Amino acid sequence: MNLRFIDWIWHVRDSVELAPGQSGEDAFDRLDPLFRQTGTTYQRTNDTLIFSKKNQASQDKMSVFDGGALQIDNGVGRSVLRYDLTSRALLFCFLAAPLFLAIAQFTVVISHFDKPTADEEKKHTDIPMNPIDKALGAPEPDNSKKDDADDDKKLTPRAAYIFSGIFATLYVVGRILEDRLIKARFRKSLLQA
Amino acid sequence: MDGTRVGKRMIGTQSPVTVGWENIPKVTGGPVKLFVFTWFQPAMLFAMIAFWYYAPNSIAKASTAVGIGIGFKVLLLGLEWVNPRYASWRLTWKELVTDLFYVGLGFTLLNMVSHFIGSDVMAKAIQRHFHRDEFTWFTGLPLLVQALLIALIFDFGQYWMHRGMHNWYPLWLPHSVHHYITQLNINKGAVGNPVELFLIGLGIGGFFDFLPRAVLISGAFGLAIGIYQHINVRFNSPRWWRFLFNTTEHHSVHHSRDFEATRSNFANTFIFIDRIFGTCIDGEAELLGMEGGRRMSIREQMIHPFTEGWKALKERRAMTLSAE
Repeated sequence: MNLRFIDWIWHVRDSVELAPGQSGEDAFDRLDPLFRQTGTTYQRTNDTLIFSKKNQASQDKMSVFDGGALQIDNGVGRSVLRYDLTSRALLFCFLAAPLFLAIAQFTVVISHFDKPTADEEKKHTDIPMNPIDKALGAPEPDNSKKDDADDDKKLTPRAAYIFSGIFATLYVVGRILEDRLIKARFRKSLLQA
Repeated sequence: MDGTRVGKRMIGTQSPVTVGWENIPKVTGGPVKLFVFTWFQPAMLFAMIAFWYYAPNSIAKASTAVGIGIGFKVLLLGLEWVNPRYASWRLTWKELVTDLFYVGLGFTLLNMVSHFIGSDVMAKAIQRHFHRDEFTWFTGLPLLVQALLIALIFDFGQYWMHRGMHNWYPLWLPHSVHHYITQLNINKGAVGNPVELFLIGLGIGGFFDFLPRAVLISGAFGLAIGIYQHINVRFNSPRWWRFLFNTTEHHSVHHSRDFEATRSNFANTFIFIDRIFGTCIDGEAELLGMEGGRRMSIREQMIHPFTEGWKALKERRAMTLSAE
């Protein structure tokens, strides 16, 4: 199977134009602080920079990426920085959505084994109310036979479905946001005086 | 690093820790901002207590508490955005995804495990063994007294459980994962090895099903006080608040990279329990985590207690064999 059809899930590829007359060496010098981070190793050749990150700090400006390659493409007019970055966090978020769907299905299956037994039936005795609470206007304790609290404790797949939706949404947001953030970060580093 | 003497201990010799309230920065800005970030915490606490005290029976139930908890966290995420304590703790997309993964586990798989072999089972066993009549001496007390006692009893238990985690290696192994977080955000309390999260959940389960309203009010103490342990917001918490309650300042000291500082501020809600037992340090820290701030991947967070435990067992066996 050709991974190119699906690797957009965890790859971020784009390009940034260099300033007129800016050399590849100058561009990499300006980007250098981004790679001088704990857990980051990188190799620079004339027109290529390859990096990888392990256990990168949350405060690392590129913490969402685990590796990648940056290449200077010397065009006729202006040079261009092309990059291809990989992110396990994006892949993880993408997979978290079906994972929580699976958990929802598992909850449905396992809830069939969750039938209340006869000895779990509760004996109800009225809860007393302190005169101070009565004087302060608190509602009378609920001493009816129906037990709403038990409904709250039933196993339902609702939470898993909600989290599946949350991760699907987070993936779309992250895929767009991190793409734009890294492009803006590269552009800012390359163009700052 | 020189560090600061607190009692018999030197704090901040390995990593910077600010000691003493007088050294902690204050909220700056206009009068409205100052007012909001001074009185937000007490106002929300009293509002939540009043809500659960007066809420009609039809809405005074656990599902409402879950809804309020989620809504309150969203509000606090907004405050993190408006008035962060440290720029270096700013919530990123990756941190949010990681945090929510653990929150999701808590609402689903951990909830399921608790249901079958955890706190729910223990609660049912207790209910089978005891009868409501045996608790009338307690249920007849004023609601606020019941709620305060429940919160105090649980926090006292949490204090010793947490202190035990920092002093006994088998308990430290699952807890250590939580100490690899390098910043505090509102959902960071959920980040940790599932074994630890299950153990902590054992103390919270429905032991007090006999007392629904009192438990909901006591939950408000947890939500409106304990939640500030992991938050990236600078507050001017009133003096009485920070004397009685755990704050993000206290908890950042507990999470600092300074070993001695981590052995402090164990209580979940009531920091005066630490004051009583001499483990309280008033202060704050920005640099958090273990091993110089190494961030653990989720995969490592899942297996770390087991791999480290296995290593420790092998080392112990090798030492025993070499001694023979």
